[in-house]
Formats: sequence, structure tokens, C-alpha cells
Amino acid sequence: MQGLHLTSLLSILILMITAFIMPVIKQRQLVTKVSLATMGVVLVMLALVAVDVAKVEHYTATIGHYDAPFGITFDIGPIEAVVGVLFAFVSTMVVWYASFGIHKEIKENRVKLFYTLIHLLLASLLGIVFTSDLFNSFVFIEVSTLAACGLIAIKDKPENIKATMKYLILSSLGSGLVLMGIAYLYSMTGHLNMRAIHETLQVSVVGNERAILVSLTMFTIGLGIKAAMFPLHVWLPDAHASAPGPSSAILSGIVIKAPVVLLFKVLFMVYGHEILKDTVILNLILIFGATGMIMGSLFARVQTDLKRMVAYSSVAQMGYIFFGFGLGNALGMTIAIYHILAHGLTKSCLFLSVSSFIEQTGQREIDKMRGIGREMPITLAIFSLGGLSMVGIPMLPGFVSKWNLALAAIDYGQIFLLLIILASSLLNVSYYFPIIINGYFGNANLEGKIYKSKMKPVRELVPLILLSIMMVIVGFGSGPILDWIASAMPSL
Amino acid sequence: MTTPIIRRIVEWLLPCLWIFSFYIMLFGHLSPGGGFSGGSVLGACLILDRHVNGANAFGARFTGERLLKLALAALLLYGFLKGQSFLAGVLHMNGLPVPLGTPGNILSSGLILPLNVLVGIVVAVAFYLIATLFEEGHL
Amino acid sequence: MISFLVSHYFQIGTVILFGVGFMTLLLNNNLIRKIIGLNIMDTSIFLFFITIGYSGGREAPIINGGFKGIDAYVTPIPTGLMLTGIVVAVSTTAFALALTILFYERFGTIDLSEVIDSGGD
Repeated sequence: MQGLHLTSLLSILILMITAFIMPVIKQRQLVTKVSLATMGVVLVMLALVAVDVAKVEHYTATIGHYDAPFGITFDIGPIEAVVGVLFAFVSTMVVWYASFGIHKEIKENRVKLFYTLIHLLLASLLGIVFTSDLFNSFVFIEVSTLAACGLIAIKDKPENIKATMKYLILSSLGSGLVLMGIAYLYSMTGHLNMRAIHETLQVSVVGNERAILVSLTMFTIGLGIKAAMFPLHVWLPDAHASAPGPSSAILSGIVIKAPVVLLFKVLFMVYGHEILKDTVILNLILIFGATGMIMGSLFARVQTDLKRMVAYSSVAQMGYIFFGFGLGNALGMTIAIYHILAHGLTKSCLFLSVSSFIEQTGQREIDKMRGIGREMPITLAIFSLGGLSMVGIPMLPGFVSKWNLALAAIDYGQIFLLLIILASSLLNVSYYFPIIINGYFGNANLEGKIYKSKMKPVRELVPLILLSIMMVIVGFGSGPILDWIASAMPSL
Repeated sequence: MTTPIIRRIVEWLLPCLWIFSFYIMLFGHLSPGGGFSGGSVLGACLILDRHVNGANAFGARFTGERLLKLALAALLLYGFLKGQSFLAGVLHMNGLPVPLGTPGNILSSGLILPLNVLVGIVVAVAFYLIATLFEEGHL
Repeated sequence: MISFLVSHYFQIGTVILFGVGFMTLLLNNNLIRKIIGLNIMDTSIFLFFITIGYSGGREAPIINGGFKGIDAYVTPIPTGLMLTGIVVAVSTTAFALALTILFYERFGTIDLSEVIDSGGD
């Protein structure tokens, strides 16, 4: 089915072409319809890619008429297909949600720019995940950084400009480091295609150990800044808390995940396990991940602003993913990719429901959210579902992640790591459950609140409901998904 | 910024800059240069014109909207021309029958010449819009 | 060691420039100086890439009077890649400068230490 191989490249092309048409369309309603239609088409295309990969198991699409190692290729396996479907689904739901209320948060003449930026952002994220050429991925990383900065700065308050400045400076540091790492790899091997570098590195390790260690560190720190690894996360709370509602959902759900997929490919498919065992990089990532899990939750407990609390919870959850990488065994890597799926769906549910709360009540503090269960029952139900998944209640995807991480930690041999996972789960309870309990129960909270007084109409809540249904499906059907991802892991 | 000396010198300098930018754009496949560098020189020339001549400049007769539409049209045309080559490569078919060209001949390079010109237009318009955005408020 | 330093002086100069640009971007408080540091860092990486592709005695890859065979020219791949890199760096610098102007209009200063409240909360 050669025609189906085309859909991965065609989806990126369609997204970019519609992104450039939209600034010249005059009416706002037509722009919204075009955007929704494009997102739907892209979602169908990526589902077709996933079906194709399920049959063929892995394929390479050459761009232009030159094969690797001289040309650029798209290497699509189960990991890329699954992550691509996640990105398209979350973007479609967020654009659907935004089409109802984005004009209340940003100025009228910037709404078209908002849709353009989301299209460019999704195109560049898909490009980072699909491509198999290192310099191509660097170009897509830069495009995604600029588009994400635009999505934060599109709201014109002073705190947004400050947050965008922080994000831009730290992200440029990360990009510079990644480019220097690519330069080191090019000087050692002379290729830029990931498979060609892997084969050449196997033979030329001997004289080059220091260069390999330095370039590995540069990749880890550079991509870690973009993916909010623990000590490098300082841009995330400001950026994700001050952005408009749908932007925060996309930023926290999918933008910090694409550098993680690239880091996975660089660490385990370009360098490979034999080189990684001789260096301390995996231990470093393990320590950073474990510290992030605890410190992110500790910071989240003391917040008073609702969106800032959810943003710090993102830092903690990214710690899980780096913890899975640092363990280094096959189960750890598989569960890290599965947690990308789980956290992407859960965090977008949480951020969209929080943005509903803030829009309908006009308040942002946690104390003012008491008794909101009687006023907005469905939205708080979706928030509770997301919160339960974060804590690790069985049958939801968060539980599957934590259980398998514990199994991988036991495989690794250190029982101390189990205590860290347990402590982080308990800390998650301590800041999610007060909101849910104070929202639904307690007589002092509920007096004076009228039932369903501030609820949004049900047709505006449909994207939220679909996101939560997909989250539950990913939790229930985790067995086949884990097996499919595990079939793509490089052999140890 | 607009003393008589500068105005006189810029009056002589601008035609040379225009021709030089077109030379860089058109000869991109035969000598160093190409779309991006040619577009940068063209953009710098337009900005210099605007600063020195004010309302009589060449760029002052176009509004921001029209320039944006020109740049977007050029970008879309570039996307379609390149896109069919990429898509044909995935399917292992041959796309449009485009000649490969002989070295040293300016008109025989296939698609490279129009693509360079399109990139030059986009880059020049982008530079000009960014530099004059904060003087008048186009967008 | 000294002979290594002397024979590879291009690459060592490039890496020193990278360090200078990186530290300027990270530690300086003034926003314009940070953008200058970003440019120094990016330019040094482009220089590093291009010096990798050089091999002595060959000429630039432009056909100037008959094609002399493959081995007479320097490889043109790093130059092509770095054109793309320069475009990316220019776009980032343009965006950062526009953001600095917006920052100055909102806060009245371009010194980052007066505005950012440091320390985790």
C-alpha cells in the first residue's frame, strides 16, 4: 500500500499550507471551520498511519528521490505512530474547545493568529517525532519553540511577556546545546541520518570516548531544558500558568513531550546500549527524574493559584518519564513511552476543565473553588477523573504507569526507588483531593450555591468528555498498547 | 538621519543595491548566494529607502495587508512546487518533468531559479514588515 | 598536547567562542546583551560545522571552467546545512527583539533582574 505511506508527509504539508492561508481569510467563522476541518482530516490520516504500521510493522518514507544516508527519510514504527495519533487527537479536541471561547480571552484581531500558530505547532511536533535525520529535527525543534512562544505571548498581559521571555531564553540555550551535540556527532562520523550514525559509531568508539561523553551530555541537558527535567524546569510554571486556557492544555499535553521522544531516539537508537553502559548518563537521568518526582509535588502543595498548581504537577509527571529512561531496562523504556500517552490525555483534561472553572467563575485561587461541584457538576467530574488517574487508582492509565514503573524498579535492583514512587503518589493525593472533596461535599461549602448555575452548555463540554473517554480507554486497553510499544524497543 | 549628504549618497546607492540583490537571487545556482542572501539584501535596501525618504519611499505605497498577501502567495507557490517533488519521491514515481541542468548555464537548472526568486520575495517582505512594524502599526 | 592544540586551532577557537556566547546568554541581566550572546553562540556553531568539512588543498565547490572531478572540491553539505541554520538563528533573533520592545513598553526597563522575582515559590 504505497499510497498509505504518503499520509505522514501529507499531514504535515496540509497543516502548513492551511496555516499560511488563514491570515488572509476575512471572516472569523470561516477560519474556525477551516481549522476544525483540517484537524479532523489530520486525525484521520494519522489513524491510517497507525493502522498501516500495525500491518507492516515499520516503514521508511524517503523524501525526494534520494535514499538515506544522503537524503532525509521518515522512519515510522509503532512508537512514532502512537505518539502521532496522541498529538493529533489532543490538538483536535483543544481546537474544538477553543472554537467556543477563545475570543473571550484574547483580543479579537489575534484569533486568526492563534489558529495559525496551533497549526504550525502541530506540524513541527509531528516533524520532530517522525523524522530520522538529526538536522531536520533541529529545524523542527526551532519552529516549535517559536510557535509555542507565540501561543503564550498572544495574550497581552505583563506576566505573559515575562513568561515568554524566560521560555525563549532558556529554550534558545537548549537549542544551542543540541546543535553543538549534532556538530560533534557529525565530526565523529560524517553522517546525519540516525541509522548511519549508529552503524558508524559502533566501529569508531575507541579513540573518541571523551567526545562521546561530551556530546551525550549536551543532548541530555539541551533536550532536558525543553522537556522540563527537574533542575531545568524553571520556565514551566510561569509559562503554563499565564497562557490562555487552550494554549496551556496544548503546551502541557504535547509540546513538552516531543523533545522526550527525540531524546529517546538519540539515546537508545543513535548511541545504543553498549556505549551508554560505560557512561554515567543513565544514572544522572535517574537521579534527576526521581528528584523531580518529589520536588515537583512538594512545590505544587504550597501553591494558591489553581493553574500554577497543575503546572507544577506537570513537572512531577515528567519526572516519571525520566525515571523510566534512567532505569535502562526494556520495561522502563516501554513504560516511559506509555506515560507520554497517559499524561498527555490526563493533563489536557485537567487543564481544559480548570480553564472552564476560571472562565465561568472569574476566580483563579483554589480557596474560591469551594462548592463548585454543585454549580458545575460535569466539569468537576472530569477533573476528578483526571485527578484519580494522577494519583494511581486502578483501571485508569496513571495506575498502569506506576505499577509497571515499580516492576521495572524491582528489576533494576534498588528497592529504595519503590519508596520514591510511593511517596510521590501520596503527595499527589495531598493536593488533588482537597479540591475534589471541597467541591462536592461539606455543608459549609455548599450553602448558597445553586445547582448547575454556572455550567457551560453540554455541546461545549463534548471535547472534554471525549478526552476523558479516550483516557479511560487507554487505561483499560493498556495491555495491547504496551505490547505494541514493547515490540519496537531496540534489543539490549 | 536625513542630512543632505546622506540623501545624496543614498540616491546613488539604491539602484546599485537593487541590481546587486537581483543578481544574487538569479545567479544562486552558479555562484555563492541564492534566495535567502538575495532577499536579505533586498529587504535591507527597502528599509534604508524607508528610513531616508520617509513617505516617498518605494515601500510606502503598499499597505501591510497587500505585502502580507504577496509573501503568503509566494510561500504557497513554493510549497506546492516543492511538495509535489517530495510526495513523488515517497511514492517512487517521477514528478513533473523537470530538467537537471548543465553547470554554467543559467536557464537550464530546472526548478532552482524560480524557487530562489520566491524565497527572496518572502524574505525581503518579512524583513521589511518586521522593521517597519513598530513605526506605523501595520498589523 | 601542544601539537594537538596548535594543529586544531580552528576548532578550539570555535569552542571557546561557544563558551563565551553561552555564558553571556545565561548570566547577563540586560536583555540586549543576552540576544548578542545568543548570536555569538549560534555563529560559533556554524563556524565549527564549516571547519569540519574542510580538507586542505581543495577549492570551493563552484564550477569555474570545466569540471575537475570529485576530489578537487570541498564537500558542500555543511555549507548548505548552515544556510538553513543561519535562517533559523535570524528568525529567533527577530522574534526576541520584537519581544524585547514589548517588554520595554510594559515594564519600563530592559534589565531582567529588576522584574523577575527569583527563588522558587
